[in-house]
Amino acid sequence: MKPFELIEHTADVGIKVRGSTLTELFENAARGMFCVIAGEGYKAQGSKVEKKIEIYKNRDNYEEILVSWLSELLYIFNREKIYFNDFRILSLNDSGLKAEASGINIDLYQSNIYTEIKAVTFHNLKIEEDVDGFSCTIIFDV
Amino acid sequence: MAQAFDGKLEKLDHFRWKIPQTYKPGMRVPGLIYASESLLPGILNDKALEQVANVAFLPGIVKYSLAMPDIHWGYGFSIGGVAATDPDNGGVISPGGVGYDINCGVRLVRSDLMLDDLKPRLETLVNSLFNNVPSGVGSSGDIRASAKDEEEIFLKGAMWAVKKGYGVKEDLEFTEDKGAIEGADPSKVSKRAYERGKDQSGTLGSGNHFLEIQVIDEIYDEKKADAFGLFKGQVTMMIHSGSRGLGYQICDDYVKSMVGCLDRYKISVPDRQLACAPVNSPEGRAYLGGMKCAANYAWTNRQCLMHLTRGVFEKVFNKSWSALGLRLVYDVAHNIAKMEKHKVEGKEKLLCVHRKGATRAFPPGHVDLPEQYKQAGQPVIIPGDMGTVSYVLAGAPGAMQETFGSTCHGAGRCLSRSSAIKACHGRQIDKELFNKSGIIIRAKTRGTLAEEAPEAYKDVNEVVDVVHGAGLSVKVARMRPLGVIKG
Repeated sequence: MKPFELIEHTADVGIKVRGSTLTELFENAARGMFCVIAGEGYKAQGSKVEKKIEIYKNRDNYEEILVSWLSELLYIFNREKIYFNDFRILSLNDSGLKAEASGINIDLYQSNIYTEIKAVTFHNLKIEEDVDGFSCTIIFDV
Repeated sequence: MAQAFDGKLEKLDHFRWKIPQTYKPGMRVPGLIYASESLLPGILNDKALEQVANVAFLPGIVKYSLAMPDIHWGYGFSIGGVAATDPDNGGVISPGGVGYDINCGVRLVRSDLMLDDLKPRLETLVNSLFNNVPSGVGSSGDIRASAKDEEEIFLKGAMWAVKKGYGVKEDLEFTEDKGAIEGADPSKVSKRAYERGKDQSGTLGSGNHFLEIQVIDEIYDEKKADAFGLFKGQVTMMIHSGSRGLGYQICDDYVKSMVGCLDRYKISVPDRQLACAPVNSPEGRAYLGGMKCAANYAWTNRQCLMHLTRGVFEKVFNKSWSALGLRLVYDVAHNIAKMEKHKVEGKEKLLCVHRKGATRAFPPGHVDLPEQYKQAGQPVIIPGDMGTVSYVLAGAPGAMQETFGSTCHGAGRCLSRSSAIKACHGRQIDKELFNKSGIIIRAKTRGTLAEEAPEAYKDVNEVVDVVHGAGLSVKVARMRPLGVIKG
């Protein structure tokens, strides 16, 4: 079972994400998003940075928490120029999540490998559960 | 995963196809697609038609969920979608119906230069533009705006740039809404959005954004071309950019908050990306106030980009830009929602018109047109891909009758970015285009070149023939690319 794979979309970019648990799904979605940004196999070099991320939602909806989680990482990436490559969800329930993410301080804007993600969309986003665990498809506006 | 359209289209005539309202329970109006027989298979292959049907669920939608011939799969709305809603009838506004790049748009600058004047200096000009106009992702511009400036940009749009000396008053005359839409409310812009917009004024951005030097190789309507100051053999320049990080953040903020409105206002839509709120609700008004700030920022951005470009021409040709005749023909928005007056069943109504990858196309005589274009109609700028051609059209009466004053916005993609990269594997698109057509291309990344290769797009000629044939806008001039700068 691949943690994530790129899917075809006419105008934008999508990833199909899987995880044996919801926590793993959220971590793999973050990995998938940074793979869209810098390509598969990219190894960032530089000083390591740790971030704590907390999302609060008072709605019983994991899709909204997932979009907020990815949007938050994208926001920090844009603002602080951190390429995240390690994600640990500490707690996840229907009121939000707590997580730690670590990455490398690097200005990818200047590199020629970089794909800009404008936003994480809700387009047909649905977390599905089957015998193997959880899966969903996320479309990014690029 | 998004579904493909599995219904049957009703052919109305050579250019019009209908998705019956019965296709999906919950559709409030039918779908109407503008396309030719030859464009249709590509459209059916895509998932865009399902999105046209989904947009028909929006409360208060009037007449049709419309799709232009450059339609392709987007998120929520299709790209090339138009939807008007009636606020008096529960009509909603949807940030997804505008998109993340709020007021992404195009401007066309004409010149007095002929192709022969340009040829010996083309390479110098393209290199100099590439070095002097900030492009690329997240690039920061030389044109700096303080936090106070930013608020003024939100409120006054391109006028801010003109006051700073980045252009002249006449430029505003030839910009949609004179470069500033009324009703912008900076208090509806989040701190994050402010932050992202801070140093990106006068920057091109990446992806499909570009700056292009062109030559007019065909005139279809002498009279209208003359009114727009265009003639055969003339050098023109096109700028395609939007509201950059500011617009993305404003859209993102409001999509998230409007997902919550779906329950609050008991709105049922098949895709959460169509999140919306009544135009006349606190949430709807807040989004409009914020969206207008981004729209005004985008007009300022294109005004600043034009200023930088004029400066480069001045250096390369050693003449002032006014002596070179570098006058703005027009600037159009193609991702925007506007409150506009339109006739519905004989009555004039104030509607909220969403244009997601569609261009306003007001006909001759429309009150919002500059005096010089009153007889010709509004110039509609249609960029093609970097290897084919672009067009200037003029708004026509059919657009007011059928599409709430709208027409297409470009060629429209037909290949995904990854398919385009695969198709271009091992090829050097810039060299190919130079050897084949003499087009000089400068891009920040090779990936952008492959993603934006001509085969990733539909044939813009076919797209334009449909809107011309359907009477939404008429062909005026065609431009061939000479030099392209990509972000």
